[in-house]
Amino acid sequence: MYALEVNNLSKSFNSLKAVDNVSFTVPEGSVFGLIGRNGAGKTTTIRMMMNIYMPDAGEVILRGTKIGQEFKDKVGYLPEERGLYKKMKVMDTLLFLAELKSKKGRGIEKKALDYLKRFELLDRKNSKLEDLSKGNQQKIQFIASVLHDPEFLIFDEPFSGLDPINTDLLKDIILEKKEEGKVIIFSTHLMDFAEKLSDHIAMIDHGKIILKGSLNEIKSQYAQRNITIEVEGDSSFLEKVDFVEKVENFGNSIGVRVKESSQSQDLLKLLVQNNIKVNKFAANEISLHEIFVTLAGKDANNVK
Amino acid sequence: MLNKRTITIIKRELKVRLFSRTFIIMTLLIPLFMFGILGLQTYLLNYSGSENALLIIASESQRVLDNVQAELKLIPKNHEGELKFMFEKLEKSKLEERLSNIRLQILEEKITGLVFIPDQALKNKKIEYFSKNPNNNLLLNKLKPSINKVLTDMYFVGRRLSTEELEFAKNNVDFNGYRISADKKIEEEGIGNTVLSFLFTFLLYMSLLFIGQMTMTSVIEEKSNKIVEVLLSSVSSKELMAGKIIGTSITGLAQMAIWISPLIILLSTTWFVLPPEFTLKLSVWHLVFFLYNYFIALITFLGLFATVGSIFDNPQDAQSGIWPIMMLIIIPFFISIGMQTNPENQIARIASFVPFASLIVMPARITLVDIPLIQLIISMLINIAAMILIFILAGKIYRVGILITGKKPKWSEVVKWFKYNY
Repeated sequence: MYALEVNNLSKSFNSLKAVDNVSFTVPEGSVFGLIGRNGAGKTTTIRMMMNIYMPDAGEVILRGTKIGQEFKDKVGYLPEERGLYKKMKVMDTLLFLAELKSKKGRGIEKKALDYLKRFELLDRKNSKLEDLSKGNQQKIQFIASVLHDPEFLIFDEPFSGLDPINTDLLKDIILEKKEEGKVIIFSTHLMDFAEKLSDHIAMIDHGKIILKGSLNEIKSQYAQRNITIEVEGDSSFLEKVDFVEKVENFGNSIGVRVKESSQSQDLLKLLVQNNIKVNKFAANEISLHEIFVTLAGKDANNVK
Repeated sequence: MLNKRTITIIKRELKVRLFSRTFIIMTLLIPLFMFGILGLQTYLLNYSGSENALLIIASESQRVLDNVQAELKLIPKNHEGELKFMFEKLEKSKLEERLSNIRLQILEEKITGLVFIPDQALKNKKIEYFSKNPNNNLLLNKLKPSINKVLTDMYFVGRRLSTEELEFAKNNVDFNGYRISADKKIEEEGIGNTVLSFLFTFLLYMSLLFIGQMTMTSVIEEKSNKIVEVLLSSVSSKELMAGKIIGTSITGLAQMAIWISPLIILLSTTWFVLPPEFTLKLSVWHLVFFLYNYFIALITFLGLFATVGSIFDNPQDAQSGIWPIMMLIIIPFFISIGMQTNPENQIARIASFVPFASLIVMPARITLVDIPLIQLIISMLINIAAMILIFILAGKIYRVGILITGKKPKWSEVVKWFKYNY
C-alpha cells in the first residue's frame, strides 16, 4: 500500500509546461526525495500535491482516496519561500498555525513550548517574529510545520539557505519523524542530502520524471555499469569494445562504463582473455549526482 | 465557507486589528481628520490673506461719504488684517486726474484701491472700483452690505416710508422647510438631518478608503512575506479571503458603531436636548440600516481592495490598480454631497439603485427624505447581489494572484486568471 500516489499530474502556465505527466508513488513510512534542478517543476508538483494549485490533469491519491481538505489537515508543510507574519509573536504564530490544522488547547501549547525549548528559543516566545534573526525565524517555521503532529511532512527545498547547525537540526527532525512512522517528502536540488536522507526518490527534469524508485535499487542498477579497474598491461583495446560505453584513464586506475550492468562480467572475462593482469576490479558505488548528470545531460553539471 | 478554519482566520484578524493600538488610534484619528479637513476647507474658502488694505472711498456727495463712513465703522474687526479707509470728495470730472495721481501707489500696493460712488449710484447702485486686483471679492463683499444700506436708505428717505417698511424691503425671503412623511405628521425640518447626512457620507467615504487601503496593504504583505503559502497549506484561498474580509469588516463595523454611538444615545435617551434647528428626524432604525449598509459596503469594497492587493506584490504597483475602486467610492461620494441641495434629484435617485453607488448614496438619502420600503428593499437586494458577485469574481482573481510574484501583471493577464484552473 502506498501512502501517496501521484498519477499523471500536468500543469501549464501560459505556454510553459511546468509539470508534464508526472507519476510516482510514496510508500508508507518512507523518506521520499523529489530531486531536480531549479525550475524543474518540483515546487509546482508539491503545490499540486498540497492542493494549492489545481492540476490541469492527473490526481493525487491519499491511501486510496483523492486528496482534499483531509490531507491538508494531516500535512505539515514547509514551503520553499519561507514567511511568517512579521508583527506576530512567536507563540501566537505557532498556536495560530496549529489552530488552522484544527489543533488547539493546552496540549498543543505545551508541545510548542517543548519545541521552543529544544530549539533554544524558549526565551523568545513573546518576541515578535521580526525581532528574530533569519535563522531563528526558520526554526519557528520548522516548528510550525511539525507542531500539529502531522502524518505527512512536505518540505520544499528545506535545506536552502540554512547554516550547518540548522541543517543538522532539520535532519534530526526528519529522521525522528521517520522513526515515528511518518511519511516525509522533500524536494531538493542538493543530491548529497537526498542521497543521505531518502530511501525513495523521483528525479524530475524539465517537468518530466526521468527516474524513480527505491534509492538502493537505483544505485545498484547504475553502479554495476561503472567499474574501476587497476591492471597491468595494455588496456587501450577497451575503447574499441562494443559493449563499453566510456573509458576514463586516471593513471593508476581506469574507469570503465559498460552499456548494461550484466556486461561487467564480460569485461572481466575480456581482460583475462587478453592476458591483462587484473589487480583490482570494483563495481563502483555511484553517487546520485552522477546518476543525475548521466540522465539529465551535460547541462545538469551545475547541480551539486 | 464559514468553517472553523475561516473562523480561525477571522479570530486572528480581529486580534490584529480590533484589539490593537492602531484600532484605537484610527478610531480617534479619522473623526479628527474629517473635521480637520472640513475646517481646513472652510478656512481656505474664507481666507482673504492677512495683508492690510487701504481703500480710498470717493464720492461726489459729502452726505454719501458721511453715511458710508458711519456704516463702515460698524464692520467688525477681525484678525485677517486691518481694513483702513480714506474718504474724499471727488467730482466725476476729476476722477481720471486723481487716478493718475495715485496710480503708482496702487501699483506698489500702498493703496489697495479706490471706490468711487457717483451721484448716479443713488439711482442705479452702480459703483466703480479701481485697483490692481479688482476681483478681490472677499474685500468687496465686506463693503457691499454697508454701501448698499447707505444707498437704499438714502433712496427711500425722501419717500416717507417707515423704518419697518424699509426693513421689510431689505429682508430676503426665508424658507422654512417642513417634512411631509408617511406617518402623516408635518414637522418643521431643522438642519440636523442635513448635517447628519453629510456626516454619514463623510464617515462612509473616509472609512471605506482607510480600511480598504489597510486590507489591500495587508494582502500585499501576506503575499510578499510569503506567509500565504503556509496558510494555503491549511486553508483554501476562498477560506483565507473570506476570513480576512469578514474579520476586517467586523473591525470596521465596530469602529463605525463607536463613531455613531453618540447618535444612538441621543436618539434613544432624553439625556440631551438639541436646539430646535438641529432637531433630528431620525429613528434608531436609520442607524441600524446605516450600520447594516456599512457592513455590506465593507464586504463588497474590501473584496475589491483585497483583489487588487492580491494582484500586485508591492504597494507602489498596487496604486495603479486601485484607482478604479477609488472611483467607485469617490463618484458616489460626490453624488451624495451634491444631493444635499436636492435629495430627490434624478442622479441621486438612480445612484441609490446602482451597485456600489447605492451603498454610499442611500444612507445619506434616507436621512434626508422618506424612502418607500419597497425601494429600500430593492436597493438592499441589489447590494447583496453585487456583494456576492464581487466575492465570486474576487475569489477567482485572488486565488491566482496571491501565488504570483515577480513581474507586475498586465490587465489582460489578470482577465485570463478568471479562466485559470488553479
